[in-house]
Amino acid sequence: MIQSAIVDEFLTTGQCASCRVIDLHAHYGPYQGIYMPNHTPEQMIATLDRCGVERMVTSGHMALADMVPGNQEITELTERYPTRWSGYTVINPNYPELAARELALYDKRKGMVGLKFHPSGHRYPLDGPNYAPALEFAAERRLMVLSHTWEGPFNSVAEVTKVAEAYPTLDLILGHSIYGEWDGAIALAKRLPNVYLELTAAYAANGIIEKMSAGGVTDKVVFGCDLPWFDPHYAIGCIIFARISESERRMILRETALRLITPRLRH
Amino acid sequence: MDKIAFWDCNASFGLPTRGALKVCASADELVQELDWHGFSGALVYHTAQHDQSPVVGNRVLAEAIAGNPRLIGSWAILPPQTSELPSDASFFRAMEAANVRALWAFPEEHRFLLERLTFGSFLDEVAERRIPLFVRRAIGWPVIYRLMEQYPNLTLVAAAHGPWGEDRLFRPLLERYPNFKLDTSRYEQDMGVSELVRYYGHECLLMGSNYPAAPMGGPRLMIERCDLTPEARRAIAGENLLNLLRKAELS
Ligand SMILES: [Zn+2]
Repeated sequence: MIQSAIVDEFLTTGQCASCRVIDLHAHYGPYQGIYMPNHTPEQMIATLDRCGVERMVTSGHMALADMVPGNQEITELTERYPTRWSGYTVINPNYPELAARELALYDKRKGMVGLKFHPSGHRYPLDGPNYAPALEFAAERRLMVLSHTWEGPFNSVAEVTKVAEAYPTLDLILGHSIYGEWDGAIALAKRLPNVYLELTAAYAANGIIEKMSAGGVTDKVVFGCDLPWFDPHYAIGCIIFARISESERRMILRETALRLITPRLRH
Repeated sequence: MDKIAFWDCNASFGLPTRGALKVCASADELVQELDWHGFSGALVYHTAQHDQSPVVGNRVLAEAIAGNPRLIGSWAILPPQTSELPSDASFFRAMEAANVRALWAFPEEHRFLLERLTFGSFLDEVAERRIPLFVRRAIGWPVIYRLMEQYPNLTLVAAAHGPWGEDRLFRPLLERYPNFKLDTSRYEQDMGVSELVRYYGHECLLMGSNYPAAPMGGPRLMIERCDLTPEARRAIAGENLLNLLRKAELS
């Protein structure tokens, strides 16, 4: 069997004391097309405890539908759990005036560490003009921006490349690692210092972790599992059983995300 | 902690026509993967059974697993009308001789309708003999609903789930048909497995990864650590599958 102290510790205790996980892609609340048995704040915190996750950064499902109550809801949760729960302010480009209002509230909402875009969900391309004010705002403040990325229209390599090149002072985290456009995503993370690959769902494309490692970008890969959608243990298991080194396991589960988030914590 | 024996009910080998990020070319390579992930064994099929034809693929599979007790085979079925495969008792005797103890149906790739008009008494016999039939959930829940309505005693395993937990679609089947089962594959909802077991018991769940398309490590850690009794975890990890295969009456 695989020889790894990290694997052994996760299998026997469910967590790894020397490698507490940071989750940069989480959500909150129930959602449309899926039944989620475990989505209350208390249940989600219990899951973090069970799986050895130190902190998660969330965008609320409510916020993906309606920014105004949704971003406020996440703000309150980050205040209730400041050591475990950070937030992304969701920007819906279909409503530019409301988006401007959400940006204006950003500095006051101390639990927020960046912005979240969902171009395909909002049916609006990542490089479209309605995202520009939010991108400029994030670039000025050197924020993290987590964008849903996937092959197809709205958020593929083409759109991501334009935005990452145009705004080098923000860190662009590619949610799902541009699922399906693996070569393009890896090349982009290799070439541009501000591009990171996030693993939600991508971790289940068997072989992708090794491919990222072979592409020399493991230090740009971060953990996420869409909690409360997916059991962090499923995601962690996909990563730690991959044929990579123990230090690469630590980079993905914790170290790179910690480097990204620490300077942005304001609580 | 007692060691849990993991058996994967949904793994395959052979080169897929369309290529893949990760392939398992041979039975030996699959066994190496089982070793790496700490699995005792697997119920397997060969890519030729769906990418090419069961007529060839079933034989290729049988030859590849011969003499390897860690790999139990499953054969693909075709409609009896075209007589490409035997559909009488000789088919089941050949299964037994080849250590093949389960069946797969790939109605999309092989272009048939998986229903009584096509399969008639053949699937009655499969049900009577308690031979598990596997299908991918991607064939569509309406197809699976109709099949269960037509063959209510069939041991049917809906496998290769996507990550969007489909409880709203499969729970009615679990409620109605005691022989309807799920593989775990990418049923990865947070606390999903433990909640499902609380409502429906652990017998409905079989550890299955859909390897090599999806990893084995994720489901392994999830089942190993889920919030269930050691007995329930052991059952889902492997015992439920082995019990089903043992019950299949082939001779
Ligand atoms: Zn997400």
